[in-house]
Amino acid sequence: MDVALWIEWIIKALILVLGLLTGFAYLTYMERKFLARFQNRYGPNRAGPFGLLQPVADGVKLIFKEELIPAQADKLIFMAAPIITTVPALIILGVLPFGGVVNIMGREVPLSIAGNLNVGVLYIAAITSISVYGIVLAGWSSNNKYATMGGIRSSAQMISYELALALSFVGPIMLAGSLSLADIVEEQMRIGWFIIYQPIGFVIFLIAALAEINRAPFDMPEAEQELTAGYHVEYSGMKFALFMMTEYIKMIVVSAIAATLFLGGYHLPFVTDQPWGVWLGPFILIGKIILLLWGIIWVRATLPRVRYDQLMAMGWKVLLPIALFNVFLTSVIMVLFPNWFSH
Amino acid sequence: MTEQLAPSVEELARVDELTTRFPEVVTPDTRKGYEGYIVRPENLIEVATYIRDEMGYDFLANLCGVDYLPENKMEVVYNVFRTTGGRGLTFKVQTPRDSSSVPSLTPVYPGADFQERETWDLLGIRFEGHPDLRRILMWEGFNGHPLRKDWREPFFEEEGKPFKSRWPEGHVYRIEDKNPFANNVAYPEGFDPDQWEPENDARLYESLRRSVKELYSDLDTEIIMVNMGPQHPSTHGVFRIAVALDGETVLALKPVMGYLHRNHEKIGERNTFLQNMPFTDRLDYLSSMSNNFGYALAVEKLMGVKPPERAEYLRVIMAELTRISNHIFAIGMFLNDLGAYFTPALYAIEERELILDIFEAVSGSRMMCNYFRFGGVARDLPEGVYDKIYKLVYDRLPRRIDELDLYLTNNEIVRSRTEGVGVLTPEQAIAFSEAGPVLRASGVPYDIRRADPYSIYDRFDFDVAVRYHGDTYDRYLIRIDEMRQSIRILQQAVRDLPEGPIQEGKPQYQVRVPAGEAYGRVEGPKGELGYYVVSNGKPNPWRYHVRAPSFINLNAYETMCVGNKIADVVAILGSIDIVLGETDR
Amino acid sequence: MLFDYLPIIVLIIISTGLAGIAVLLGHLLGPRRPTLRKSVPYESGMRPIGPGARRMPVRFYLIAVLFILFDIEIIFFLPWAVVFKKLGLFGLVEMFIFIAILLVGYVYAWKKGALEWE
Repeated sequence: MDVALWIEWIIKALILVLGLLTGFAYLTYMERKFLARFQNRYGPNRAGPFGLLQPVADGVKLIFKEELIPAQADKLIFMAAPIITTVPALIILGVLPFGGVVNIMGREVPLSIAGNLNVGVLYIAAITSISVYGIVLAGWSSNNKYATMGGIRSSAQMISYELALALSFVGPIMLAGSLSLADIVEEQMRIGWFIIYQPIGFVIFLIAALAEINRAPFDMPEAEQELTAGYHVEYSGMKFALFMMTEYIKMIVVSAIAATLFLGGYHLPFVTDQPWGVWLGPFILIGKIILLLWGIIWVRATLPRVRYDQLMAMGWKVLLPIALFNVFLTSVIMVLFPNWFSH
Repeated sequence: MTEQLAPSVEELARVDELTTRFPEVVTPDTRKGYEGYIVRPENLIEVATYIRDEMGYDFLANLCGVDYLPENKMEVVYNVFRTTGGRGLTFKVQTPRDSSSVPSLTPVYPGADFQERETWDLLGIRFEGHPDLRRILMWEGFNGHPLRKDWREPFFEEEGKPFKSRWPEGHVYRIEDKNPFANNVAYPEGFDPDQWEPENDARLYESLRRSVKELYSDLDTEIIMVNMGPQHPSTHGVFRIAVALDGETVLALKPVMGYLHRNHEKIGERNTFLQNMPFTDRLDYLSSMSNNFGYALAVEKLMGVKPPERAEYLRVIMAELTRISNHIFAIGMFLNDLGAYFTPALYAIEERELILDIFEAVSGSRMMCNYFRFGGVARDLPEGVYDKIYKLVYDRLPRRIDELDLYLTNNEIVRSRTEGVGVLTPEQAIAFSEAGPVLRASGVPYDIRRADPYSIYDRFDFDVAVRYHGDTYDRYLIRIDEMRQSIRILQQAVRDLPEGPIQEGKPQYQVRVPAGEAYGRVEGPKGELGYYVVSNGKPNPWRYHVRAPSFINLNAYETMCVGNKIADVVAILGSIDIVLGETDR
Repeated sequence: MLFDYLPIIVLIIISTGLAGIAVLLGHLLGPRRPTLRKSVPYESGMRPIGPGARRMPVRFYLIAVLFILFDIEIIFFLPWAVVFKKLGLFGLVEMFIFIAILLVGYVYAWKKGALEWE
């Protein structure tokens, strides 16, 4: 254990966290700009060139906002809930490989924080569950009917879709024979991207992920048409910003996981195979993430919201059986045609 | 015009039937300029039941009170119609001013509910037997009943405009400047404004609890009472819905309105007849041309004038363009209520803007058009506008309506959210006095343009749009159908638009309106928009009442919502399509 | 082995720190002028009736219990999936039986109406 290793970890963690924060800021900009174009509008174009400073202006405004704490609220939980929600979203990507191993000043540095962690996928499944706590606590501690209902709705929704989400992980794991995300990416380099083998799994993942991160058309907990803003209705200022940040970072995270599990991660045929291509890995991954984010925004601009009971019914009665069937189908094919998957 | 007004032989026979069936109880209204029958209050329910069941007048369109101060009596006027079409029947009840009380007609016409509450609120006529007689437009702490002729507001100046006091020797000043606020406000006895809690809605919640008990007497789970509104993103303005919930399911619901109330009718009675024309724009501010239309018809009925041909065509063109702009906006905002994040709304607004361009060209204003005049319209089409309208109705609008239809109608989520939600049966729809798209979506083909044609609607070839399920989806579809029919009317009207004058006689600022009463109604985009005007020969109307479809259509709101989910409450409200300017007046 | 988790710990510490700083920053820089009306829980501008946090419909607990049951069973899939290639046909049969048992419970819950939202 040497100091250099610690410094390396700290630097990588800082890069990841700060990168996610910047990503969040510019994702809001990207969403507003794309939504505007979908809707025949211009979108933000006043702060800075092309409105590029809009996220900064928003951030500064939120910092200087008065923060209200409702009477009879549970103050400690009320303060802690945004942090409990934010931290899991920030740390999920710790197990994601952003690229191969590069050589910096004579050091072999893998472009990930713990990409070869042997329980990577399990870690993702575990950490996503934790954010539910933050949301329930936020709703409960606000002493507000909208917030309580929004929090409970949200948690029920998230746990319901987590089943299908976890089941959609099983396919890639079976194909790679490992829980480590680094292994999964490497396996895709060998036998091709898993979306080819797991088309159903990919679709299930996308739907379940949209529900998991509370995005349209499943943005039930913050359905402004009925519950005004759901669980974070009483939050203002920076604490509100943390909730929003979590939502957007989760979008990035989900896109990153989808890209890694099904779309080859940092791998791009004929490019990253070259000796100089290893440096391109992170950028290729980011490109894939942006593409998926664009899809998520597109869905939001297009679809109305489903109703809560329909949402729960879909999770339990449609998605879960299909996901189980998908696992079954994959295993049958793998037993019948073992040659396809060996190398 | 005169032919339309004169009752047919069959009509007279029916009406005689009423006086022969109830001698002594029902007497014809013989005052000059008045029509209909006066019913003795004690027998009102009996007579109304007969009128509904035996004579077939199943639709209570309008109910309003009139304060006849000189004769020291109150009168309640009922305008009933048949949903199969034809002219209506008017009957009235009279009651002394100082203990005015009339039996409630809610057992016969459930649609009388809100209108009776409004009449109680504004005129202080008590309706015996009304299940929930609370104030509806004014707040509970309001002193008195403002539409009574002897009620005076704090800054009372004169009974009718123009107020001479404001132009002493040609100098304008405001009487408020002379009369500082606070020392002339009258409160009810025992009322202390400092102690009063505006949120204390004990009577509302009590009524909500009563409804829950009536419907679910054996219910044992915890009921949550939630307010949606007035400060809520999806209530289309400052509208409030108090809901009793069991989890997600709505057990009972009470709409609360009046946050935008400005007593339109009192101001209307102070104004001169023509001054009311721009004032009607402010009712349903999304369809001001239709509002003008109804008011112009009512006053023209009193005056006995008829606009020239070109003006009639221009009126129809503007009214139908208004219908399209209103419906396309309603559909856009309805999709927003379903959670589609503004995309359909903004595409709908794009078309609406083009229609508003035309309004701006002809009237000088995009929304507050003030375009109609008694016996004509204000201005002729400016140069080039005809071609614009032509292109719009023959090319662009039909295309864009098809496009909306294509993208929205068969969307899976739209269908699963709306089909079978908020069902209103035809019987309920008629009973609750629903009008317009809400009524026709329930399978009642009742469109005033066809059932009781006004203006020149009898010349056009169009179908009455009707749908049969009565759910939210049908209320959405019917608006698409109606836009298509409006396009048909527009295409004919634009094609046949004749040359000629646009105003009967000379344009006048002060019109002479003979004494009498008139109920003028049009098929507005939101439903039957009626104006009940009473003139006593003076420059100002004695009574000016608006039958607001946005207001009366809310009668059935609770019935539609109960048993559905909380998210449907918003969708159903969007499908009724209310505008708060009209609801609250 | 546990050494692999150290970078995650570093990451957790850093992100908790950042989130804490953000909350703290808002506290220090934002103005603070609480009034009685401001601290009333928001209910569309009306004074709320009854407490905000209260008993929730039992369906939510049902969902939670079902989730725990199924989630634990799904976790068993993961180790199985890792070694599936080695197990071959044996693994398939084994998992078939496992899924069948899972399905019995699932169908039972469905038939009992645990998945209905009415």
